[in-house]
Amino acid sequence: MSQLRVESVTLTFGGVAALSAVSLRVERGELVSVIGPNGAGKTSLLNVVSGFYHPQRGHIFFEGQEITRASPHEITKRGIARAFQNIELFSGLTVLENLLLARHTYLAYGLAQAGVFYGKALGKEVENRRAVEEIIDFMELEPYRKALVGNLPYGVRKRVEVARALALSPKLLLLDEPMAGMTLEEKEDMVRFILEIRAQGTTVVLIEHDLGVVMDISDRVYVLDFGQVIAEGPPEEVAQNRRVQEAYLGVEA
Amino acid sequence: MRNPWAQTGNYRTSYRQDTSIFATHRELVSLLLFLGFLLVLPQFLSRTQVFILDLILVYSVAVLGLNITTGYAGLINIGQAAFMGVGAYTAALLAPQGLPFWLVIPLGGLVAAFFGFLVGIPSLRVKHLYLAMATLAFQVVFEWAVGHMPLLKQGGAMDMPRASFFGYEAGFRNHFHFWYYASLFTLVLLALFFRNLLRTRYGRALVAVRDNDRAADAMGMDPGRTKLFAFALGAFYAGVAGVLYAYLSRAVVIEDYVFAHSVKYLAMAIVGGLGTLVGSFLGPLFLVLLDVNMESLSNLIKALGFSVAGVDVASALRPLAFGLIIVLFLMFEPRGLYNWWRLVRSYFRTWPFKY
Repeated sequence: MSQLRVESVTLTFGGVAALSAVSLRVERGELVSVIGPNGAGKTSLLNVVSGFYHPQRGHIFFEGQEITRASPHEITKRGIARAFQNIELFSGLTVLENLLLARHTYLAYGLAQAGVFYGKALGKEVENRRAVEEIIDFMELEPYRKALVGNLPYGVRKRVEVARALALSPKLLLLDEPMAGMTLEEKEDMVRFILEIRAQGTTVVLIEHDLGVVMDISDRVYVLDFGQVIAEGPPEEVAQNRRVQEAYLGVEA
Repeated sequence: MRNPWAQTGNYRTSYRQDTSIFATHRELVSLLLFLGFLLVLPQFLSRTQVFILDLILVYSVAVLGLNITTGYAGLINIGQAAFMGVGAYTAALLAPQGLPFWLVIPLGGLVAAFFGFLVGIPSLRVKHLYLAMATLAFQVVFEWAVGHMPLLKQGGAMDMPRASFFGYEAGFRNHFHFWYYASLFTLVLLALFFRNLLRTRYGRALVAVRDNDRAADAMGMDPGRTKLFAFALGAFYAGVAGVLYAYLSRAVVIEDYVFAHSVKYLAMAIVGGLGTLVGSFLGPLFLVLLDVNMESLSNLIKALGFSVAGVDVASALRPLAFGLIIVLFLMFEPRGLYNWWRLVRSYFRTWPFKY
């Protein structure tokens, strides 16, 4: 059974349909990309899956359970993590604190224990610090551990954004344009990270504009245009699809 | 083994050590020395001077609470005096029943926390200025409600009994000293509690909803619950401050808990440094001392017989100085006194090196 199932989801803002009857399936351990021209509804799709928007019609299932109406934090607790397109980090906190924040649900201790910072609170903090350090290690963020996120350069912040989503220890990771605005070198690093994350068994749904990257690393590709899925399949197949070519290059006169 | 007393940098070698509050032995010891100094300080001061210290301590508790709600969680609250009032009136009702003060203090805090929770409910939907209006509404409703309740003498003076602690009576001569120690103990306890929260998920959650509540939601925390928690906790501190103030002034009068005082606490939080723990003490310290000095200055001017067209200019000095200081801080040091504190501290931490 598919890990994530989106079944004919329709999302409208007033009269505008951001998504119309979009269906999508993601298998466990897959790397699926969603592409499409600007305004095609890619980010809306992620917003619907991660619970920021609730669709007017359709259903979403994660591991067999319906999450259509669930709020973002409930969905996160079930194992779906998300990195935002426009970096949405906590700029007043350090990299370390940002990542520790993502461990929120794993830090199970009460207010009283937190107030004296002893026993369970201390133990859990140390334990989760270890988990966070592994991610810092993995994403090569060691030099920035205690730097305020607001003061970091753009490429690093993008990396922290992905690292924070990883710190949630998700089963399914949603990445919204993790390479946008990066230099070639930074992009290559990011691709390396994504492939590594996937190799560790995490399912990845990737939104990306760089078609070269998408075609290289994806197992399957969904193409959205004007809120509709116009093609779906392995990258080489999708690249040959006439409607996809039209959507990207325009219709020949 | 390196000498821990000569430490200038970060010697931490484990994650557990990295959770500690104090970076060096010197920091911990200097804080303990300072607390020791505060313990003996009243013995060298007159009753009036101790009263001023009492005010600073009580205000610090209230401003610390305001900093939790407004500074850390970013929820503008301009009704802190009303939450203090809730605590104070709780004390005015409970204390004459014979309850000991050390029970009345947390009870007043809890009742205020409950009201904080209620007032926080709009924060689930509205933000920024609109939320400020909601807290202002509470302030107005509070003043009106007290003014119409015969139970609370319609805002008139309600007497507070003198306190006693295991046979030790707070009489006329030692009243201010008694409440100095009681307030100091409460403040240290509450400050320590909050400082501990800051290194746990509760503290981080507060800052998360301030910086970006959308992303906070995606981190698996309920931003709504966090906001309600921030309001309730901030109001708890205010309620405790209200009880202390009620005991200290030996009466509860509505004038002590009106809107102007809410603004004063907000000013103290800003001058001290919004969203900083130390700022919660520096702000009240600075503004109370300013007020006291301006008062003596205006008395001096008055004594010189200086007045313009029959208007007593001297009495305008206090509000003028207060307003001017706030404007100057907003313009030149929006990060507040805390920033100066930070600079001085980092200088001493690395001394004799430059950085």
